[in-house]
Amino acid sequence: MKHLYLIGRDEIPSDIVLTSQEEHQLILLALPGVSADVPVNIRLAGEGAVIDVFGLYLNFGKERVSFRVNLRHESGHCRSRQLFKGIVGAEAQVEFDGLIYVAKGAQKTSAFQENHSILLSDRALVQTRPQLEIYADDVECSHGATIGKLSEDELFYMRSRGIPEKEARALQMRSFISAVVERIEDEQIRQMIYDKLSQCQA
Amino acid sequence: MDNILLKISDLHAEVAGKEILKGVSLTIGKGEVHAVMGPNGAGKSTLSAVLTGKPGYKVTSGEIEFMGRNLLEMSAEERAWAGIFLSFQYPIEIPGVSITNFMKAAVNACRKARGEKELTPSEFLRLMKEKMAFVKMKGEFAKREVNVGFSGGEKKRNEIFQMAMLEPVMAILDETDSGLDVDALKIVSDGVNALRSPDRSAIIITHYKKLLEYVVPDMVHILKDGRIVLTGGRELIDRIETGGFEGIE
Amino acid sequence: MAAEEKDILKEFTGQEYKEGFVTQVEQDYIPKGLNEQIIRMISEKKGEPQWLLDFRLDAFGKWQKMRQPDWAHLHLPQIDYQDIIYYAAPKKNSQRPTEIDPALEETFEKLGIPVKERKALAGVVAVDAVFDSVSVATTFRETLSKQGIIFCSFSEAVKDHPDLVRKYLSSVVPSGDNYFAALNSAVFSDGSFCYIPKGVHCPMDLSSYFRINASGTGQFERTLIVAEEGATLSYMEGCTAPMRDENQLHAAVVEIVVGKDADVKYSTVQNWYPGDANGRGGILNLVTKRGICKGEGAHLSWTQVETGSAVTWKYPSTILKGDYSSSEFYSVAVTNNYQQADTGTKMIHLGKGTKSRIVSKGISAGKSENSYRGLVRINPGAEGARNYSQCDSLLIGSQCGAHTFPVIRSSCPDAIVEHEATTSKISEDQLFYCTQRGIAQEEAVGLIVNGYAREVLSRLPMEFAVEAQKLLSVSLEGSVG
Repeated sequence: MKHLYLIGRDEIPSDIVLTSQEEHQLILLALPGVSADVPVNIRLAGEGAVIDVFGLYLNFGKERVSFRVNLRHESGHCRSRQLFKGIVGAEAQVEFDGLIYVAKGAQKTSAFQENHSILLSDRALVQTRPQLEIYADDVECSHGATIGKLSEDELFYMRSRGIPEKEARALQMRSFISAVVERIEDEQIRQMIYDKLSQCQA
Repeated sequence: MDNILLKISDLHAEVAGKEILKGVSLTIGKGEVHAVMGPNGAGKSTLSAVLTGKPGYKVTSGEIEFMGRNLLEMSAEERAWAGIFLSFQYPIEIPGVSITNFMKAAVNACRKARGEKELTPSEFLRLMKEKMAFVKMKGEFAKREVNVGFSGGEKKRNEIFQMAMLEPVMAILDETDSGLDVDALKIVSDGVNALRSPDRSAIIITHYKKLLEYVVPDMVHILKDGRIVLTGGRELIDRIETGGFEGIE
Repeated sequence: MAAEEKDILKEFTGQEYKEGFVTQVEQDYIPKGLNEQIIRMISEKKGEPQWLLDFRLDAFGKWQKMRQPDWAHLHLPQIDYQDIIYYAAPKKNSQRPTEIDPALEETFEKLGIPVKERKALAGVVAVDAVFDSVSVATTFRETLSKQGIIFCSFSEAVKDHPDLVRKYLSSVVPSGDNYFAALNSAVFSDGSFCYIPKGVHCPMDLSSYFRINASGTGQFERTLIVAEEGATLSYMEGCTAPMRDENQLHAAVVEIVVGKDADVKYSTVQNWYPGDANGRGGILNLVTKRGICKGEGAHLSWTQVETGSAVTWKYPSTILKGDYSSSEFYSVAVTNNYQQADTGTKMIHLGKGTKSRIVSKGISAGKSENSYRGLVRINPGAEGARNYSQCDSLLIGSQCGAHTFPVIRSSCPDAIVEHEATTSKISEDQLFYCTQRGIAQEEAVGLIVNGYAREVLSRLPMEFAVEAQKLLSVSLEGSVG
């Protein structure tokens, strides 16, 4: 089962329960101009359930976006993967609050979460709270989070090849979000994302 | 019967509910080197795991007697104390633990279990130096973390180094030759040969003849589908080399 | 050996907390309870100036309006603040008031803490030894004072260097900072004071050793460290307490001020009594530690090895105010049986080009709960700031919990913050590899855990590193098999 939700357009289910062996993919998109509080509660209730959650946020105005993911491994042998990426500029504020909970007895769990942000302005704010709460031992869990900027070395490399700075930055941003964008099958939406990205003045 | 070191009788063992060893019988006398050959999936590594008491391997029936003791009742460390050493097919990395610390813990634990005095720092150092030279390892080797960042060849040499340090009665070399270049193979085989004595025995598990050209076995066993299907002298090695394991039943 | 004998032996050795003895000395107590009268009594006993009494009363007023925090991942037993004795001091011999009581000297010697100066050996350490509510000895004061270094008990500093104390006290941890810091500010009894003047490299490691002895009491000490421009210092802190069925409260405050280009390294080996295997007794260790890198290029490094206490609530933090200042937090926290730890750090980046690094290794065994909690904040203006955090958790057994709760907050587009965390169980392959070489299970666990924590342990001063390694193994006894 694959679902794509455009925040602000689609109603996002706040409670998702996966039963045994069920597989789910979720893509959440927060595009410029949309402020929202997005709670996502996922329960892996049956053995062997698999969930992939992808999130993308592009906020270049005064948006307030907050993702609150509560992903609960209640049964053993389940797998979850989360990847949230975004670019935040101007006066936007983005908050990512993501909990991986592994219940006692949920052995052989594998759970991975990543959240990476690029911050473009000193009036913008990114806050990330990746959390692991683990009560079973035979698990492999990890999270990673970064808040940073576009690589200056990369930029210089492109410019030295004759690519104008603005274009080079747009390319860098495209490359930064590509890991999420390539999951989107709808070509129109992909194009929309790239259009929005090029409107942003880095 | 005084000459028997290890006696495996009708050994059945399973991993994760699947029977891998289906009645293995094997007797090894003191001072003998036996080769166990066989195709992938024959149960060679299971045999070495069962002999050393690796968790997760369940013996469903049969017996193993080692120096007159019931091996199956002994924990992994008790088997090590009794003189059983396994050269791992895939040596394990232990980050943050230096070879020196690791060996100090192992050597002293074995000595203590045998009622011997712990080595003094200078005795230990001398032993380390001697055995490092033996496997052609340089000084900084002692400071390196156990197997961390080692090449395949270095890992195998480290196994032989540890074997030399612990001087086992019964060494089990599980695919120690796989992935070794000629130089490393020479070091490994010299190491094994140097330990040969009337009191020490070895099982060499392999599916190539390479190592067996350097370490000549007294007996060769062919393990197939969990059973020893053929036992003979070193002439079996050439038969396998030319005809493979296919025709042997 | 028969299996039962082995179990008995394990039981016997597994319980061992060799610092759990009680010293028989005559103590001077004040009545239990907490009110203005008690605070006045403590202040009077210490012969304090009015400004310090005012400071205490003000803090008490703040504390009364606060609530005990409950955001940590801890089940704190109910603390009856009226049922605690806030001041207990061994009585001085009236004939020889300046000498150390031999019983106390023996206590510290038994703990491996020399309270009498020995001939200058290599690797010598100066000690401020605190017993319940008072400092009983501070060694090498004379030697140090020749270089202008002040190293003494907090009480003496109040008397002898009131201006310095007044200038820096609560300048890093305000008295109303949090519930436990406010409590400490109201009732603190003693602690260590250290001042390193401009450009002085402290010639030896300084240390504080805290010992709780009396029952029914709490320990509330304060440490204040000031390193002026270009000064360097390595400071160590250790602590132990007797085995008792009751929980005892330890609420300390540590403040560190680091001047321009100064370098302070603060190391802790925390070995308070952790309670028994059934979770009875143990110290409640509720501590506020904070430093400020005040000047440009200042450096503050925290290293902690936490093996003791029934409950640990502790977040040694750094405010990176000076441009290009830097800080590190290296931590190993081991919990076994019913211990609970919620520990981590805060790195607040204010200055340009500030750097911080966090390395945390949590090891949970038995039925314990072990959490890393951290905050990395990059303020606007902290251009070029950089933080890297690595938080790993290791689980031994299926009955314990390991948790990671970081917060990362940035409003500086020119900063880079990276955080990584992993959780996994102790590797069965590593255990088998060790046992195959003849290393027994329990020892193998100690070896593997020490390797896992090596990046942190290697930061400790030599004298501490050996001690810490042993402690890690001892703390995990009985956790496998």
